[in-house]
Amino acid sequence: MSPEALATALDAEHAAIYAYGPIGVRLDTASAADARQAEAAHRSRRDALVIRLTALGSTPPPAAPSYALPYPLTDRTAALRLATEIEERTAAVWRAALPETADADRATSLAALTDCAVRATRWRRRAGVSPATVPFPGRAT
Amino acid sequence: MLTAAVGAVVVYPMAGCGLFGDEDEKAQPPAPDPLAPLLAEALSLAGQHEAAMAAFPVLAERLTPVAETHREHVAALTKVIKAPEPSASASPGTTASSAPPAGDAKATLAALRAAEQKGQKTAAQACQAAPPERAALLGSIAAARATHLEVVR
Repeated sequence: MSPEALATALDAEHAAIYAYGPIGVRLDTASAADARQAEAAHRSRRDALVIRLTALGSTPPPAAPSYALPYPLTDRTAALRLATEIEERTAAVWRAALPETADADRATSLAALTDCAVRATRWRRRAGVSPATVPFPGRAT
Repeated sequence: MLTAAVGAVVVYPMAGCGLFGDEDEKAQPPAPDPLAPLLAEALSLAGQHEAAMAAFPVLAERLTPVAETHREHVAALTKVIKAPEPSASASPGTTASSAPPAGDAKATLAALRAAEQKGQKTAAQACQAAPPERAALLGSIAAARATHLEVVR
């Protein structure tokens, strides 16, 4: 069991939660509802990680006061692109936790990887990106 | 008496050699890899999507990337297991599933969704039970099958 892998996952969840704020304001109504659900899912993962890391005797890394967005979110297209990338990145971090974990922690990591991969596919569909799926979610291509 | 005894001694190891040599090969086939069922399922899923596209060309755009993903999973699992690359004709899964799907396109999609759901469960269980060096690959396979439910509809 490696607290480092889970701490890295927590860092990624903090960043995802932050990013969905500016993403949400650029989206249409239906997509914005998806963004709120995604943000809530990331908050749940964050809270569970804080509890788990504390139980492991590790100090959960706090969120940064703010995060630099990789490009300006000027419109819906940019917002959907960043939402996809946020889910891809979070998926990669959870995937990397799989070899480092066992039992309940591995089950959590797999569920998180799967959820991120499904949300990435939904964002690609909303953005009209084809194909909307990738062969190995979370794996660097 | 002496000649007979020598003859018996000479015959015994020869017979013994053949007997035990054969027995050894039959008694110890290479143990099947625990991922063999997952590999067979990936082949079967690829075959089912390909059969569906052959029967309903209108589904091709939707199902082609999904079928290709299953083929990529087959290749990755084959590499990990170090099994010989399975040929389409040699696989019982592919042979069984290359039969044209029963029913209309809607029923076919429903059957594919059910197969993907089952496959996601199999892959998740394999990931949970896997040694560290296999966990990431199996996690990606499970996640990929989950994403297929978003597009196979």
